[in-house]
Amino acid sequence: MNVDLAHLKDIRKSFNGVEVLHGVDLTLAPGEVLALLGENGAGKSTLVKILAGDIPPTSGSITIADTELARLDVYQARQLGVRMIFQELNDAPSLSVAENIFLGQWPGSKGFVAWGDMREKAREILKRLEVDIDVDAQAGSLRVGERQILEIARALTQNAKILVLDEPTAALSNAEVERLFIVMDQLKKQGVGMIYITHRLDEVSRVADRVQVLRDGNSVLTVDAKGAQREVLVTAMLGHEALKNARPAAVTTSGNGLEIKNFSSGDDFNDVSMTINAGEVVCLFGKIGSGSSEVLESIYGLRPVTGGSVHIFGKEFKPKSPQESSSSGIGYLPADRQRLGSFASRSVAENLAVASWKAMSRLGFVDAGNEVKAFSRWSDALKISARRGPTQEIATLSGGNQQKVLLGRWFEAKVQVLLLVEPTRGVDVGARRDIYDIIRRQAKESGMAVLVATSDYEEVVLLADRALVMSRGKIVSEFTGNSVDANSLISAAS
Amino acid sequence: MSKTTEVEKDKKRSIPASAPLMAFFVGLFIYFSVASEYFFDIENFRNIAVALAVTGIVCIPGTLLMIAGQVDLSVGSAAAVSGMIMANMVNKHSIAVGLAVALVFGLTLGIINGFLVTVVGVNSLITTLGGLATLYGIALLIGNGQTVMMRNFEWLGTSQPWGVPLPVLIFTVIAIMGAVSLRKSTYGRSLYAIGSNPNAARVVGIRSNRLLFITFVLSSVGAALAGAVLCSQLSAADPNAARGLELEVITAIVLGGASLAGGRGSMFGTILGLCTIGILNNGLILLDVPTFWQRVAQGLMLIIAVSFDSLRQKLNNQRS
Repeated sequence: MNVDLAHLKDIRKSFNGVEVLHGVDLTLAPGEVLALLGENGAGKSTLVKILAGDIPPTSGSITIADTELARLDVYQARQLGVRMIFQELNDAPSLSVAENIFLGQWPGSKGFVAWGDMREKAREILKRLEVDIDVDAQAGSLRVGERQILEIARALTQNAKILVLDEPTAALSNAEVERLFIVMDQLKKQGVGMIYITHRLDEVSRVADRVQVLRDGNSVLTVDAKGAQREVLVTAMLGHEALKNARPAAVTTSGNGLEIKNFSSGDDFNDVSMTINAGEVVCLFGKIGSGSSEVLESIYGLRPVTGGSVHIFGKEFKPKSPQESSSSGIGYLPADRQRLGSFASRSVAENLAVASWKAMSRLGFVDAGNEVKAFSRWSDALKISARRGPTQEIATLSGGNQQKVLLGRWFEAKVQVLLLVEPTRGVDVGARRDIYDIIRRQAKESGMAVLVATSDYEEVVLLADRALVMSRGKIVSEFTGNSVDANSLISAAS
Repeated sequence: MSKTTEVEKDKKRSIPASAPLMAFFVGLFIYFSVASEYFFDIENFRNIAVALAVTGIVCIPGTLLMIAGQVDLSVGSAAAVSGMIMANMVNKHSIAVGLAVALVFGLTLGIINGFLVTVVGVNSLITTLGGLATLYGIALLIGNGQTVMMRNFEWLGTSQPWGVPLPVLIFTVIAIMGAVSLRKSTYGRSLYAIGSNPNAARVVGIRSNRLLFITFVLSSVGAALAGAVLCSQLSAADPNAARGLELEVITAIVLGGASLAGGRGSMFGTILGLCTIGILNNGLILLDVPTFWQRVAQGLMLIIAVSFDSLRQKLNNQRS
């Protein structure tokens, strides 16, 4: 008899009297990849946290490996082989790669770590994953994508039977994504069941056997992944039909907004030149490591410039520091929202107003009323849903809403040039559309020049007036208007 | 309509940061009022206020630092050195010279601390821990380990304009300035931002180093002023008089809801924390509890308060 690896039945979960899961079923067979789709707040995270024993369900039954469990705790779940890979890294950056792979379960005896043994085993595992990483390197010195692979390697050493991957590809380059999929194929052969949470619909048919869609705490669709129609999935996620995946209407813009010439920074990129008109949105498309996000960092003064010039609306600008840049009318939205963008413990109003305090203040004193006014001005325009209003802590909002607040931050500051790095990373489908609309509309209305660095070609198609493709630190091609499409972008970037 | 009621309901649901401490303070206050006939008395309240004023003067800049994610452990020793300088200068020259030199000392120390933390990049805990030891040694060196007596300089610590003790008046003025700048000024808001996420603060264009530098200077100047007030109250400078001041300051600030990691806290909270320590010490004395128990009670209170705060945050997080 074919026994399911995991079977969640009629799972209900309430927080503080509010039910967020209304009786959801989920099954996972050995060697199966189940893609779990849904917008933020649909209940995906809650469901997998219940499977991992992180939080107890209010009602319903959990069966793992033929054992029905009344209560499942984290320890038990681990014993049964449930492992989670999160979007956020859970590693020890100051330890070596080998130590990270065996984190907490270092091979050895009598309390002593067998270093040679550990390094050897680590090398073996990395070879199996077809990655070329030095086992003695410090984990913190690796790229985010590589560190993600380490987390998967760690799960492998711990005999994972059920692997939950929560948006693992959000920070990976295309090559790394493909490598991850190859690893997943191998794991399938070994009978590991995987639950794969993603926002990227194109990954579903590549990697998954079945797709389950959650919406508002209900399971609304479960189908075979092969032949699952993209439109059907999106409709199930949103509850209504999605907009056509079409190019935005062409807009003519004129007047030099941002102009960079022969711009270089060490080995990261060199001789990059471009001109962005006032009101124009230009996407700089490239894989991670291509230098696209580095160009934006250098313009903003976060990375040393070794050559070239920058002009903003005709005036020469020498990037020195973020302070200089932000007071010269440049805004910068980093890819790593948690680390570099938001002030987690502060209110949404404060997070939105922080770049405009100078303008809002008189003699160094800010009127809190102005902050609230700024927030209500933008919360409607940006469709920010903060249930508790302007004083709600930003950390309690969904990723999409947080990102809207951070965008509003620079709109409120009335910047002339806006630099965005991966603006919709970790943002759900619905909010992603909002964000594209907002960026385009704001650019046209205020006449600011917008430069977006992204590794997501879909983003380029939906957002850009014009696309520049970067590879190995150089701009390799340019597409305008209807010539911006996924196929040409991907082939130009590789 | 329904939207506003929903918002209001949610507002009510989240527990304010200072609620547990407020409840504890009120409970303690009622208990001492009932248990001791001397407690609920205007003269006793004045004593409590005077006893708190010195610590309070240091607590205000201390709160600014803690909110920015920094800590200054050198305040106790700095106050001791300041007192020793005061006493020597007042005896040899004049009160004005004494005060001036003590404040210049505070300024210099603040610049050194600020330089080490923001320019050299030493962790503030280590910088000021070193300061604590070094300055205590200097205080002992100045007076050769002895208490230095001082004459004709009681007014700073003991005079009572309009019936209010001068140290309490000084504390009140500093507290109001601190509270207003923390809540209203770009400086104060920036400190919250720096404490909440130093990297993001840099990216968004906040001049973090400059603001931290200023705050370290304020902390040391506050400590120097507190040292001057203390030695005026005692009519003597005792190198040991301000020992442990840094711990009392941190206790008050953390009791008041500031996070050691930065980004959270308020002046109101700190003052409430300070008052709680004040009535606890005072009440225990009035109830004839041996003074050693004060230390035990203060330590336990700190642990309990922080535990409550962690529980509150967990509760609030679960609700959202």
